[in-house]
Amino acid sequence: MIYRLRHTTRYTYSAPVTLCHNEARMLPRELPWQRCEDSQVDIDPRPAVRSERSDFFGNRVMYFAIQDIHSSLEVTVRTRLETLSRPPLPTVMAGDWQDCRDALARAAERRCLQARQFRLDSPFIRRHPRLAGYAAPSFPAGRSLLDAVIDLNRRIHEDFTYDATFTTLATPLMDVLDERRGVCQDFAHLAIGCLRSQGLAARYVSGYLETLPPPGQARLVGADASHAWLAVFLPGWGWLEIDPTNGSVPGEQHIVVGWGRDYADVPPLNGVMSGGGEHTLDVAVDVIPDDETSRRTA
Amino acid sequence: MLGHDVPGLPDAARLRDALALDAPLSPETAQALEAFLGDYPLGTGHDVLLDSEGRLRPHWRGLLEALASLGEAGLAERSDEVQRLLYENGVTFNVHDDARGRLRTWRVDPLPLAIDPATWRELEAGLTQRSRLLDALFADLYGPRRLIDEGVLPPELIFEHPGFLLACDRGGELAGEPAGTPSGLIFHGIDLVLDTEGRWRVIADRVQAPSGAGYALENRIILARAMPNLYREAPLRRLAGFLEAEHRTLASLSPLHRDQPHVVLLTPGPDNDSYFEHAYLANYMNLPLVESLDLVVRDERVWMRTLGGLKPVDVILRRLEDAWCDPLELRGDSLIGVPGLVQAARSGGIALSNPLGVSVLEHPGLAPYLPALCQRLLGEPLALASPESWWCGDPASLETVLAEFDALVVRGIEPGARLVEVSSLSRDQAQALRRAVIARPTRYVAQRPIMPATAPVYDDAEHRLHPAPFNLRAFVTREPGERDGDWDYRAMPGGLAWVGSPGTPSLASEVVKDVWVLAEKPQPHVSLLRQAAGPIVVTRDGVDLPSRVADSLFWLGRYGERLDVRARLLREALLRLLEQDQQEYADISLADLFEALTLKWPAAAAAERRFGDLRATLLTLLEDDQPAGLPACFQPMLRNCRAVRDHLGDDAWRVLNHLRRHINALSPVPSASAGRRACEEVVTQLSAFFGLCNETMPHHFGWRFMDIGRFIERVLHTLELLQLALIEAREPGVALWEVVLATTDNVTAYRRRYRSELHPTAILDLLLFDEGNPRSVGYMLKRLCRQIERLPQSEASGTPYRRREQRLILQASSTLQLADIDMLSHVHESAEAREALAALFEALLEPLEKLSDAIAHSHFSHVEAPRQLIRMQVQP
Repeated sequence: MIYRLRHTTRYTYSAPVTLCHNEARMLPRELPWQRCEDSQVDIDPRPAVRSERSDFFGNRVMYFAIQDIHSSLEVTVRTRLETLSRPPLPTVMAGDWQDCRDALARAAERRCLQARQFRLDSPFIRRHPRLAGYAAPSFPAGRSLLDAVIDLNRRIHEDFTYDATFTTLATPLMDVLDERRGVCQDFAHLAIGCLRSQGLAARYVSGYLETLPPPGQARLVGADASHAWLAVFLPGWGWLEIDPTNGSVPGEQHIVVGWGRDYADVPPLNGVMSGGGEHTLDVAVDVIPDDETSRRTA
Repeated sequence: MLGHDVPGLPDAARLRDALALDAPLSPETAQALEAFLGDYPLGTGHDVLLDSEGRLRPHWRGLLEALASLGEAGLAERSDEVQRLLYENGVTFNVHDDARGRLRTWRVDPLPLAIDPATWRELEAGLTQRSRLLDALFADLYGPRRLIDEGVLPPELIFEHPGFLLACDRGGELAGEPAGTPSGLIFHGIDLVLDTEGRWRVIADRVQAPSGAGYALENRIILARAMPNLYREAPLRRLAGFLEAEHRTLASLSPLHRDQPHVVLLTPGPDNDSYFEHAYLANYMNLPLVESLDLVVRDERVWMRTLGGLKPVDVILRRLEDAWCDPLELRGDSLIGVPGLVQAARSGGIALSNPLGVSVLEHPGLAPYLPALCQRLLGEPLALASPESWWCGDPASLETVLAEFDALVVRGIEPGARLVEVSSLSRDQAQALRRAVIARPTRYVAQRPIMPATAPVYDDAEHRLHPAPFNLRAFVTREPGERDGDWDYRAMPGGLAWVGSPGTPSLASEVVKDVWVLAEKPQPHVSLLRQAAGPIVVTRDGVDLPSRVADSLFWLGRYGERLDVRARLLREALLRLLEQDQQEYADISLADLFEALTLKWPAAAAAERRFGDLRATLLTLLEDDQPAGLPACFQPMLRNCRAVRDHLGDDAWRVLNHLRRHINALSPVPSASAGRRACEEVVTQLSAFFGLCNETMPHHFGWRFMDIGRFIERVLHTLELLQLALIEAREPGVALWEVVLATTDNVTAYRRRYRSELHPTAILDLLLFDEGNPRSVGYMLKRLCRQIERLPQSEASGTPYRRREQRLILQASSTLQLADIDMLSHVHESAEAREALAALFEALLEPLEKLSDAIAHSHFSHVEAPRQLIRMQVQP
């Protein structure tokens, strides 16, 4: 699929900001199944400094600083990109999930060693016996890791209610587990916590999802949002993405921006400012299939 | 032969024999030595003074003889002198639970720890090797991480440690890095313990903000001052060259290679444990001492906010721990960081010593891997071993640890975690710890306890030497080589030793020791102070002055003067009270003095209890928790003094320390007359303090701000006092006029000039209009006018208009100059004159009360604490 992606973030401050330093992780990363054209970045007011680097995880990070007094900040990133289908799921898994877990702990192979950091605690996710307990029914002895993961993905989708009013950025994972509700970010964190508590490696993926308008209706501009899911490491195969919010395995409609241990490693826009008082935030995301834009303009 | 006695028994005669082996001692020295060492126990393990047979190790002989020759009384006197110097120099550190400015100090042992040349050579090689090793490890961990990919280090060992900072990863950028930019370990503190086999063991590495080098230097200077003969003659390696080397290294780090790079020392602030040392080193190395609010990142460079605007900074000598340095990329809840610092360092706009991210090198779980790392990275065997230790994240190690659990010392891997001796725990506690280790093995390290060797410590109560376990912190710095880009590590020939079991934090120790590294032959005596001035010339007190420092000096002046006024008023009140008691007449001025002191007049009581009630009320002002009291006034003064520690002279600081001790001992006071004397002492010390400031501080902007602060406070108080005495008093009249004169110390001046009864006109003349009298409002306004005129012009200068503070002071001055003195002189008889005088006071007070804010607005940067765009939860 070819998409035109537009992500706008606007902060409006109640008091002037004299200086701000920011990091944006809004530039999608290049992947074997994701080809990105150059992004068009518009920042208002114009930053005095802007530079791009890649972070510890290889994500693209844009640093910028605004050094003049301002009372609002708007960042828009437009990217045209193509997504292909991901590698097919493994058909045969060697051994059961416990074998995979033990192999991961012992493996001297480079990819395994690098995956092992994703078994540890991270800023938002701490391993916990209760998380292991929730995961347990999906992980009976003898089941293959792939089947166990797919089952956990399905159960979270079925057991939890999507509720944008319930959580904030700082909702503890245990509250999500108790209340059985949250948003995509919470479900991704929850699944990662479950997998890590079982001794597996899982990482957080930040990105976008093309949402299809109800049949017969036009797409609402700006109605999409950024999305989050996760990937789990299958020793001997690689990183398998799952999307517990939708109970699905991501495909061409899932656009990857970047990944990390959890949300704290990949917030779309992060910053520190002097001044500012209270602020309001508006976010608009459009994920528009390119054939649709061409139809519209035609 | 010697050494056949039962171990543990003293044997003075044997010692004397041992000493006499080479050359005979004078009978006096021998006697003194015997008294000194008489009951020094033997046989408890390795001791650095005596060998296993009780013989004095040869390198101690000269030192002991020299100390013994001072005699018991002489040494006790020197020891007291050392303590006095420590105290006066303010070698103190903060104790967090005591917010009232009562700082702890330690005792410096007059007997140093002596290390012989051969031992030092070996130790030095081990220390510098360790720095090379950690430097290579640092480069790999934040670069290619081959050690992890090759399986030398388990990934969990590194990624589980909170000191491994993802933001500092350079893996993706190494290709684009400018050649020759040093980014590795610059300065390294290494904590050592000598074990009972006589081997040095490394128990910790300090790389984030290694404290102690300044204390080591200060201890050396103080001991040398207290025992000049001993130090002048000693074949002792000197310390000055080491800090000079560090200084040259700092200058060489400048990313833009400027001729005169601007190096600053970044401190977390006066509340930090080691703030004294930060200020001390800043002074010694001639670097501005800055806090994070003094710095700002713009254009990917670091700038210092000064009175003259933003000045570029090239190199930061950092005493702020990694995680707190940048709220953008490191801990988001840090209020003491500089937003954008990581990016500035990444882009090469600033160099830091040490670079950010080094805290992972303090990881105690690295110890078991160091022998292999040393072979892998340096191709050498590791010279200095650590105690036998295990990182519990390794399954085999965990098994060993659990098997020997009760015999081990366990700690968490996080910085600052306590060492827990399992054998000292209750059964339940030990079980709980065991469960915690099993639940999260990657988070724990265990080690076999070290049996420490002992060193002699002088007991200042018993005048004897006793053996005690000790810790040693050694220091290593990079030193630039002959050619550009060359460098090597160099160890400080000395360090900081402190008494305590292995791993006792230095700041928790009661006794510290100078460390003597003996040289083969006598070393030329070099004066230490200012040796290290180095190639950097920095204007310390011009417009380069950080605005925060100006701010603190201003408030130092204001609070100091406020304390002075209150002490004087209280003194007068107590004096009146005493006179009243003796003469049995109620002094009518007392009620008004209570008013001036913002005290409540006690409810009417029986005449015989009246004196007691009034006295008790007045003396509350000497208590700590009284908001209007003297201690409450002193604390903000002290806080501001400490924030500008590096701008005050040593003499002023000594007086401040006296004052601090005096204030801390103010309450309880046995009597009104003792209270009066206590107030007088405050007045005297304050005057000495400000007198010394005036004599020693360069009369640049810093001093001007302090002076303005003092005189704003003084003119406001004088006007309020006059207002009270002449207009608002319940009982106006001679008694109160006397108080006014006495409070302003003008009784003598008045008598000499007017030779008359007190008369309000004369008082007005003396205290309001006479510009020649330093206590008059006229003089103060003139002085303020002059000082304000000479303040730096802000960036918006160039306009022909006066700034607000200039207009305000001008308004006050002209109001005074235009006053109708003739008319006012009838104040005691004419209601019209009284009203005019009241109006005059109002007209003077009105602009002067706004002056402080106007100056703050024009000159002090009011930096808001940085705020997060999104609030992130932080892992505890």
